[in-house]
Amino acid sequence: MRSIALLPGLYCALAAAAEPGWLYYGGDQGGRHYSQATQIDRSNVADIEVAWVFRSGDMASYGDAMDNTSTQSTPILLPEAAGESLVYCTPFNRVIALDPASGQQRWSFDPQIDRRGDRPFRCRGVSYAEETRTPAGAACRHRLYMSTHDRRLWAIDAVSGKPCGGFGDGGKVQLFGAEGLVPGEVSNSSAPVVAGGVVVTGSTVIDFARAHTPRGTVMAFDSFDGRPLWQFDPLSGHANSGSANVWAPMSVDVEHGLLYLPTSAASPDYYGADRPGAGLYANSVVALDLHSGELRWHFQHVRHDLWDYDTPAQPILFEWRKNGQAIPALAQLTKQGFVFVFNRLTGKPLWEITEQPVPPSQIPGEQAALTQPKPIAPPQLLNPFLMPSDAWGLTPWDRGNCARQIASLQNLGLFTPTSEKLTMMFPGSLGGPNWGGGALLGDSGVLLVNVNNVAFTGQLIPTPKETNPDSRKQDHPAAGHRMQVTMEGTPYNIEIGSLQSPLGIPCNPPPWGKLVAVDLVKGTIAWETALGSVHEMGPVTAPFHIEWGTPNLGGGIATAGGLFFIGATMDRQIRAFDVRNGETLWQYTLPVDAAATPMTYSYRGKQYVVINAGGHHMFQRGMGDYLYAFALPD
Amino acid sequence: MRLTLWLLLLVAPLCNATTLLVKDEQGHPLPRVMVTQSPVTQPEADLSDDGYAPDGVTNTSAPVVTRFTDAAGQVSFETPGNQVTYRARAQGYVDANFPAIEGELVLQRMTPEQEIASYPSNVWLSQLDFGGDEGLKKTFQLNCAFCHQQASPFMRNERTEEQWLSVIERMNTYGARLPTDDHQKVATLLREEYRRLREHPETVPAPRQWEDHLSAVQITEWPIGDGFSQMHDFLLHPNGYIYIGDNLFDRIYELDPATGKYTVYKVPHDEDMGLGGIMGNRFKVFPKMYNYMGVHSFAYSKADGNIFITPSMQQALLEFDIKTKKFITHYMPEGYYPHTIRVDDKDRVWFTLALSSQVAMFDRSKKSFTVYDLPARGVKEWLILKTLPVMFSISPENRPQPDPDREGTGLPMPYGIDITPDGIVWVARLYANDLARIDPDSGEITMIDFPFQGPRRLRADADGNLWIVAFQDSLLVKYAPASGEFSSYKLPVINEVPYALNVDRERGVVWVNGNQSDTILAFDIASEQWQVYPMPRQRFFTRDIEISEEDGAVYTTNSHFPTWQSEGGVPTLLRITPLAE
Repeated sequence: MRSIALLPGLYCALAAAAEPGWLYYGGDQGGRHYSQATQIDRSNVADIEVAWVFRSGDMASYGDAMDNTSTQSTPILLPEAAGESLVYCTPFNRVIALDPASGQQRWSFDPQIDRRGDRPFRCRGVSYAEETRTPAGAACRHRLYMSTHDRRLWAIDAVSGKPCGGFGDGGKVQLFGAEGLVPGEVSNSSAPVVAGGVVVTGSTVIDFARAHTPRGTVMAFDSFDGRPLWQFDPLSGHANSGSANVWAPMSVDVEHGLLYLPTSAASPDYYGADRPGAGLYANSVVALDLHSGELRWHFQHVRHDLWDYDTPAQPILFEWRKNGQAIPALAQLTKQGFVFVFNRLTGKPLWEITEQPVPPSQIPGEQAALTQPKPIAPPQLLNPFLMPSDAWGLTPWDRGNCARQIASLQNLGLFTPTSEKLTMMFPGSLGGPNWGGGALLGDSGVLLVNVNNVAFTGQLIPTPKETNPDSRKQDHPAAGHRMQVTMEGTPYNIEIGSLQSPLGIPCNPPPWGKLVAVDLVKGTIAWETALGSVHEMGPVTAPFHIEWGTPNLGGGIATAGGLFFIGATMDRQIRAFDVRNGETLWQYTLPVDAAATPMTYSYRGKQYVVINAGGHHMFQRGMGDYLYAFALPD
Repeated sequence: MRLTLWLLLLVAPLCNATTLLVKDEQGHPLPRVMVTQSPVTQPEADLSDDGYAPDGVTNTSAPVVTRFTDAAGQVSFETPGNQVTYRARAQGYVDANFPAIEGELVLQRMTPEQEIASYPSNVWLSQLDFGGDEGLKKTFQLNCAFCHQQASPFMRNERTEEQWLSVIERMNTYGARLPTDDHQKVATLLREEYRRLREHPETVPAPRQWEDHLSAVQITEWPIGDGFSQMHDFLLHPNGYIYIGDNLFDRIYELDPATGKYTVYKVPHDEDMGLGGIMGNRFKVFPKMYNYMGVHSFAYSKADGNIFITPSMQQALLEFDIKTKKFITHYMPEGYYPHTIRVDDKDRVWFTLALSSQVAMFDRSKKSFTVYDLPARGVKEWLILKTLPVMFSISPENRPQPDPDREGTGLPMPYGIDITPDGIVWVARLYANDLARIDPDSGEITMIDFPFQGPRRLRADADGNLWIVAFQDSLLVKYAPASGEFSSYKLPVINEVPYALNVDRERGVVWVNGNQSDTILAFDIASEQWQVYPMPRQRFFTRDIEISEEDGAVYTTNSHFPTWQSEGGVPTLLRITPLAE
């Protein structure tokens, strides 16, 4: 009898031990955005409902400052030994730990960041590691690491939320040098990588506003005491530039001791006459030795970038299974809509990469690259060539207007350099894919990616005498607006805007945002579907959904239950798709847009899906400070 | 002057040359390695006219020189006066770039994937069978392979059917005539068959291997222009200069091959003329374009050396006075799309009018045009041709687009033209697959069926035979007017679509453009044997050939459209000369 009575408890313990969690920003350290959780599946997802809602309080505390934020954080679930809290950060780098079942706050930590400067506040997440050099049971055996807007790397105790005094100076390391913090120049947004006793952080650099911006140096520290270990400047040897920073999440292959950096463009984004050459290692995926920082291999997907085609997404590490072989692989999404697939140990492409001849620049002194790389497979995730006959509109009038606009543009397809003439930028700096990355369906080799599909136009404007002081704030134009950005130290400003009709509707055919299922091994697109409804994008909200797809920021996650969860759209929805065919199986209207990647975990026998809903000012959408959890009813 | 230069070229290797030995990874000497010497920078040039040389300006093009290793794996270059860099390229080996010719160089083998990817367009194209519809493949090649290498890495990259349709529809607005009924079929087949090739690249055959005769030649290139410009046809003039037309920028370049200096002459146009002339601006998305006239084909008068040029975008003929260096525009009363041009021994200027299916003759003594109507192939074609003036009276923006069929009804397209030694004018009609014989004295026109497809350009040899390329049939064809017999010769490379040819009458060699295989092909008439010369740049698309009567040097131009898709992204004039007997 006694043994029988013990069985349910044993079962629960075993079940708890096996419960799928979400220990890293990207689900795992290779950014697969995948969970083994199966409780919520295709058959019951329509039944899930709000389990709890937590509000960070940022809206009340920061007021108007929220207009300069982007809520992009994905929580992580700590292991039992680390307190089993659900932890995330707010745009102002407040770290909050919640009860995973109830959403009740357990603790919070506010680093009181320096909020000077006009760059947007963002925090995509925090990272967890068990520091085995700290005695078991002692504070800071389990740690959280976070890089802040004001360039500090913090280590805090995962159980209590208190800074780890033995790390750097009172729990923090300054990421800037003797020059001090220059507000608005460099900040941090993505979670650092922690593995093997090393914590590595990249940075966000204002790469468009000046010819000479700070370097995008990647820095590694000892995860125990914050001692500097190594640095990697992606632009080593290039004097007339800056940036090439790593703002998107990094990945790490712990087994092979390899760190993968998605590097961004060199400064300034749209003018390269003073930075001749390809500009290695900008616009690349770079593999470094985790422990020494030495270069192992690299691949540059844009040479001599003139389009702001940063490497936007976390490199995705997976096993490439083909013809009975399993190769450690890496898939890299780019804003151009390409998926490059490599052997992640050697950098050898697993799909042939061809050299595509591309148009030259017309700007004096500008030596655009003669060719750009393009994988032979999978196909590009969007069609970047738009002709007048492709113009779209609700009426013949706006369609005709769009056709005329398109006909007047300089447009030789992807990689057409901007000039003093208005030029098609398709995709623009928003992508294609962006920092939301992709979600792999387990070991299937199928990657689900949310893709923007809206054309921009751009034009180099000879530098005017006076410049709007607000012109440096944004990375991308706000919906419906044209933005002029300074490029100090060059003869030009750049003006960018979306290509749209007088009605404010994109001139290219919908969908303007889509979800694409890519079979990385077959090299094919399995299916694609519109992502998002435009019913809230017009001057008046329509009473019904119009599923033409919307621009989107944020990512999605896949589960073993056959589902793909994503917010990201400009319609306040979180949706669940059937991974087999893209059918929408469930959706829920949030109070504001969720421009963040959701996560899922099972806790005490129940699977939760959690998403951060903070709105998105760049898209001129409402703001908020919500964290929503969904689950099946009890 | 030429003889002196030749002597200098022949003795130069003896006095001031350095030698490179190229080996494979096993240490074996590698013959047939293409070694290209390029200037690090081109000389400073006046490009102050929107990035191009203004009228009358003289700039210099520093040549790019290519030689091949011999059987011992060795190649020599003279020590250059300027700073240069080198590239070694061999089939199946990874390109090596290096700063100087000295000692030994080891080339690494490509991986099998790299090697197949490096194959030129023609071998990839050979594996597209269009679902077994041979006629459809020929239609596709006729309409889609006269500007681009169709299976280059750029083109064979997979696209969705919608993307292919978008490309096809855009190309038809540029001047292709792929039948409307075939658009969807072609889009589907390109998607399916490029997918199959990508999944089974091992099915792509290896290209023709380079051969030992290459070590006996030097290839010299003069880059002029940029990624937007296009060298189309050109002319070797008896005055020693080469005149090259920039089809997209209304310029001719007068190049001295001895010095690389070239003077630019900008073709004038009427002030009220729009871009694209009467044809309208078809290339609306091109950021740079200056083709009000459309410099196309060249011929010179043996009487005074003046050069006659067809301006495709006008109802006119251009004359370039070789002494005053001024252009004279002779306006015509009719006819559309002046195309290929020749001058006969009586100083009459003959040229095809490709769109209106006519041949024009300009009598210099009378300064008058005679226009010969070539027969229509049926009532529908006759009606279409007769309504052309009405169509062209409509502004280009509102002009209806043609709705072509596979036979090219309404577009027989007289293309190449040449004059046999007996003074007879011969014309090839590309879409009609026939030849026109025009007796210039009587004006009598005789049409002759061409038993192959795609007679594009033609040339007469010293015996009065006509040599004609059969574009989509991948053949060199001889027509003997005396007997009325046709003979065909398979090209030495597979799935080539030959654009043009020329005959070295002195040496009895027919030179043929190999624009899908990055080659130029030489056919010895007596032995009926071929020799193949690889081009030093990939995606080297050639449309014209000129031969120096004195020394047999062969010239062509790289006129891939657009130029930026060609390796190096710049148009070049290319010359092949023998290094030694």
